Amino acid sequence: MRQFQARIIANRPVAEAWRELVLEWEAEPPEPGQFLTLRVSPRLDPLLRRPFAFSGFSPADPAGGAPATASAVYQVRGSATALLAEIAPGNFLDAIGPLGKPFPLPAAGETALLAGGGIGLGPVLFLARRLRALAAAGQGSPEPRLLLGFRNAASLPELDLPEGSLLCTDDGSAGFRGTPTAKLAADAALAELGHRARLYACGPAAMLAGLAALAKERGWRASLSAEQWMACGVGACMGCALPRADGQGYLRACADGPVFEGGEIDWAAEAARAAPPVKAGAAPRPAQGPAGAGPGKERT
Amino acid sequence: MSCDLRVRIGPLELANPVGVASGTFGYGAEYEELVDLDALGAIYTKAVTKAPRPGNAVPRIVETPAGMLNSIGLANPGLEAFVDRKLPELRKLRAAVFVNVAGSSEDEYLEVVERIEAAAGPWAQPGSGAARSGVDGYEINVSCPNVRHGGLAFGTDPAQVERLTAAIRARTARALVVKLTPNVADVSPIARAAETGGADAVSLINTLVGMVIDVRRRRPALAMGTGGLSGPAVRPVGVACVHKAARAVKIPVIGLGGITCADDALQYLLAGASAVQVGTGTFVDPRTAAEVLAGVQAWMEAQGVARVEDIRGMLLA
Repeated sequence: MRQFQARIIANRPVAEAWRELVLEWEAEPPEPGQFLTLRVSPRLDPLLRRPFAFSGFSPADPAGGAPATASAVYQVRGSATALLAEIAPGNFLDAIGPLGKPFPLPAAGETALLAGGGIGLGPVLFLARRLRALAAAGQGSPEPRLLLGFRNAASLPELDLPEGSLLCTDDGSAGFRGTPTAKLAADAALAELGHRARLYACGPAAMLAGLAALAKERGWRASLSAEQWMACGVGACMGCALPRADGQGYLRACADGPVFEGGEIDWAAEAARAAPPVKAGAAPRPAQGPAGAGPGKERT
Repeated sequence: MSCDLRVRIGPLELANPVGVASGTFGYGAEYEELVDLDALGAIYTKAVTKAPRPGNAVPRIVETPAGMLNSIGLANPGLEAFVDRKLPELRKLRAAVFVNVAGSSEDEYLEVVERIEAAAGPWAQPGSGAARSGVDGYEINVSCPNVRHGGLAFGTDPAQVERLTAAIRARTARALVVKLTPNVADVSPIARAAETGGADAVSLINTLVGMVIDVRRRRPALAMGTGGLSGPAVRPVGVACVHKAARAVKIPVIGLGGITCADDALQYLLAGASAVQVGTGTFVDPRTAAEVLAGVQAWMEAQGVARVEDIRGMLLA
């Protein structure tokens, strides 16, 4: 990891309230699943750095003189990301990265199932491109399967999605009607794969809870990327803790994660915590988190 | 003009007045890729308790205007893991190391200090060329607002602070600092109790008890309900507490609370602090402590101040 002033190459809208940030990247190349933290303003309010999962990386091109770039897709949902959205290309941001543990790559012959929920698509897209490049080079696994979940057709981002991506929408206005989890659960061929499949996912806690349960049932190994509020981002403050599934305390999203094995975290507890507000007089609704940008969460 | 940046805390001489605060810097290694640890005046470790503590339920942190609220709950691997795994790492540090100690009873504090004394072995001045013991002093945490037992219950009662300080004093010749809470009507009697008990210095302020409510969910933002407020928002409270404590005791006062730049640190030094700690400021920018030190040095040169220990006598009116 390094701290440096990162020049903004692009900071463009890709969907309503979603943007893609591209930075000139001077630290070591990030791996899919890792993240960076940014100070979005030199002022003291908002105070803390914000974490953003990498959605891609392009190495420098010495022939053409192009610098290495790293990208992140983020959602504008609080004061810090609103400030970030206003910063034009050419300006610099105080960046620290790459941070956290990346997705472990699939073992030879393992089928990779990738699922992204909402703004959680960033690290999943990064991994999909990496796995496709490996597959094209004849290394490692078969072609990965990529499923991306959105609210509706209007919320689909203007991003270069890998060929063969399966789109899912809650209302069926584009692609499969339902969630990536439901689509994966309905696929009988995938159920046959058992331990020959490995699931990778990033999205709201409720989605990860559902996927962790499905992976366990199917015998798939699962690597799930969490989101949690962070203060330091480097493992020092213990602020970004997530509850362990075995009840033996907590793990740090920033340094022990953000990518965890399916059975490591009590995702159901996290999903319940992230549940939307309960209306006065109404019975609590089942947990269903907002679209998340793992890791880290913007305050509203 | 070369400035004399050294600060004396009991038997210990700090190379410079700018340290990093307990709970914000782990045990040092977490920041080694981003911060020149050797350039720090002191590292105050994450609190060590007798038993391992998993920490409080989540969420544990929330941002506030120019600040943050935390309820970590003294999460740490416990005394034995500290001795086995952290102490060897601390021996590699050139900067002075204060081990922050917390407990829920007097016996627990004493057990932690006794065990670390035995494991660390004899102490030698940092920079003297002698082997590093890993521990140059203790910072006794009697001010954590986020635990049910101990913590604030000790730190708000002068009699208990004096008794605990004296008991620890009897067990170590290393530098002994007592960390005080601002959650009292007047810090002076608590500071005096620490001094009477034999402390070499007091550090303040720990966090202020605060609460944030998520109005959409009609729930506190933190799982524990309340937490400790830190960051620039608390700085004026910290400066006022240090100003008061420095006039109540003769031992050095170490100031902290919301320092993000040299001017913030200079406010504490002018208020009467001999040294300072950067806490939440490190989260915002890991280079903060180094920049604070450089800025203090530049101010001293511009003001013609030869010794950093002279700054605390310079406040007018």
